[in-house]
Amino acid sequence: MRKNLILILSVILSFTFTSCQRGNDQTSGAPKIALVMKTANNPFFIEMQKGAEEEAKKLGVNLVVQAAEREVDVEKQMQIVENLIQTKVAALCVTPSGSREIVPAIEKANRAGIPVLIIDTRVDPKALSESQGKVASFIGSDNYEGGKLAGEFIAKQLGGKGKVAVLEGIPGHETGDSRLRGFRDALKTTPEIEIVASQTANWERDQGFNVFQNILQSHQDVQAVFACSDLMALGAVEAIAAAKKTGIVVVGFDASAEARDAIGRGTMGATIAQSPATMGALAVENAYRLIKGEGIKDEIVVPIKLVTKENVGATNANN
Amino acid sequence: MRSGGLTLRGNFFSHYGRQLGTLSGLLGLVVVLWALTPHFLTVSNLLNVAEQATIIAIVAVGMTFVIITAGIDLSVGSVLAFAGVVMASLLHAGLPLPLALVAGLGTGLLCGVVNGLLITVGRLPPFIATLGMMSVARGSALMFTEGRPISGFAEGFRSLATGDVLGVPVPVIIMLAIYAIAHFVLRRTKLGRYTYAIGGNEEAALLSGINVRIYKTMVYGLAGMLSGLAAILLTARLNSAQPIAGMNYELDAIAATVIGGTSLLGGEGTVVGTLIGALIMAVLRNGLNLLGVSSFIQQIVIGSVIIAAVLIDMGLKRRGK
Repeated sequence: MRKNLILILSVILSFTFTSCQRGNDQTSGAPKIALVMKTANNPFFIEMQKGAEEEAKKLGVNLVVQAAEREVDVEKQMQIVENLIQTKVAALCVTPSGSREIVPAIEKANRAGIPVLIIDTRVDPKALSESQGKVASFIGSDNYEGGKLAGEFIAKQLGGKGKVAVLEGIPGHETGDSRLRGFRDALKTTPEIEIVASQTANWERDQGFNVFQNILQSHQDVQAVFACSDLMALGAVEAIAAAKKTGIVVVGFDASAEARDAIGRGTMGATIAQSPATMGALAVENAYRLIKGEGIKDEIVVPIKLVTKENVGATNANN
Repeated sequence: MRSGGLTLRGNFFSHYGRQLGTLSGLLGLVVVLWALTPHFLTVSNLLNVAEQATIIAIVAVGMTFVIITAGIDLSVGSVLAFAGVVMASLLHAGLPLPLALVAGLGTGLLCGVVNGLLITVGRLPPFIATLGMMSVARGSALMFTEGRPISGFAEGFRSLATGDVLGVPVPVIIMLAIYAIAHFVLRRTKLGRYTYAIGGNEEAALLSGINVRIYKTMVYGLAGMLSGLAAILLTARLNSAQPIAGMNYELDAIAATVIGGTSLLGGEGTVVGTLIGALIMAVLRNGLNLLGVSSFIQQIVIGSVIIAAVLIDMGLKRRGK
């Protein structure tokens, strides 16, 4: 029986071994760069991974991509970083699952002499400076600007007057908080637009559905909703369909393929396009330059833009 | 208690045999990983794995006690989150460290005792009582913090996670101490013997004069308190207490317990087995990371190992009878 257990474990492991063999062998000797994402099952991060992998191929870099099973699992992400430190990667690119919770992991990488590039989500500057952690660069979108674009779009659609709801991301997430701030600041110039409800749907589609359904119950005259991510926006779209309402302007964030379709069909008004693929590519490119001893910028801004019915076809072609 | 002692002795060989089986599973895993990657069998990585195992391992001690009584505790992850944010907010409010730590443990204990009372006095099935607590504790943690993490602590507190004694990380030492104590309690004390007796045959335990209510409540209280301890270590490790921390930890703790040979039917199990189970899970995750295996495949592997371990366990049990 004991032998059986060993046998089964060996079989399972050799199976996984063969499945990762591909990535390791062809570029042995090449510098090893790790990209640790929040999750591997969100379209945004799948795009990021693709962009990073293409760039790695171009540069001849050995790229390892890892992610926790769940986007909010900060402890699992820390474990992944610790484990990658053990494999002595030359550089670490991380999209933090928690802006503050990532700091101890950064400290550990610092101690091991491995440079850390932060992608997509900023590290809390206070937490970082308190622990004297060092980050080589931040590569990401200007989320504040994106939130502002969304706010301006909604203000224009409503003619400067009306009731608006907001679906927030997980509180304390820097990306969501910045989008929210940008959105609110944009609406400050139009005092006749009122935010009647602002609640979290934890970045999730089913929660976007439920929360917006509840908002529709208590605020039947809501005219627009800004969701801090497309997944939550698509949940809201379904809630609107279920309530048989029309004419509510839904604005999301991320410009996922499904959101683009929804904009084409007219069920969503707009979304903000980030370029996760570009982000992934820039991460690998800059990590590579860092390893070669070249200087890189502290902050690398990845462009964003508003996607509406007018340009949804054009941006589709771009990606 | 005579019948408790007999149950123990009767199961002695199957206990022992199964622990050996689990242990050789762990060793087999180590050998395979050693062959596959040069980064695995290094002192720094082994300490790294041990440290990563601590939190689930400590939660799993409480889970082992609960499962031996033929119960289940689904609330451990949420209780961990609640205890963590209570302690963190008290630390931020300037409470001295020892008091804040006691408050963290106390919050866990309280939640656990409520679980126990719901099950014993309220006569709710453990699944339902702790499912309810899972939601109540999570909601309390979120309400208490308005959904935001509480972060940034003094070096003294953080050293609970970052410190080491002769190179061994403090959390690992705490974990080993907890296991030593739990092993002693389970084997040598009334509480331990009654835990087996209740799980083996609750009716018989009751008839032989064991105060089942009190001991069962103590067991759930213990599970809650250990969640509080895990919360302290997790908060120190991340330098942050999150109201959404500990999600799915109940499942990892149940997995570690079951891999370690504790029967979900109750009446048998050991904490030594659970420790090995927790290490198997940590070693697997670590090894798969070192090998660069995608998180999707990792889930398949971990699930397969749980199933394989229980299949083998059942095979051994059948042979033992």
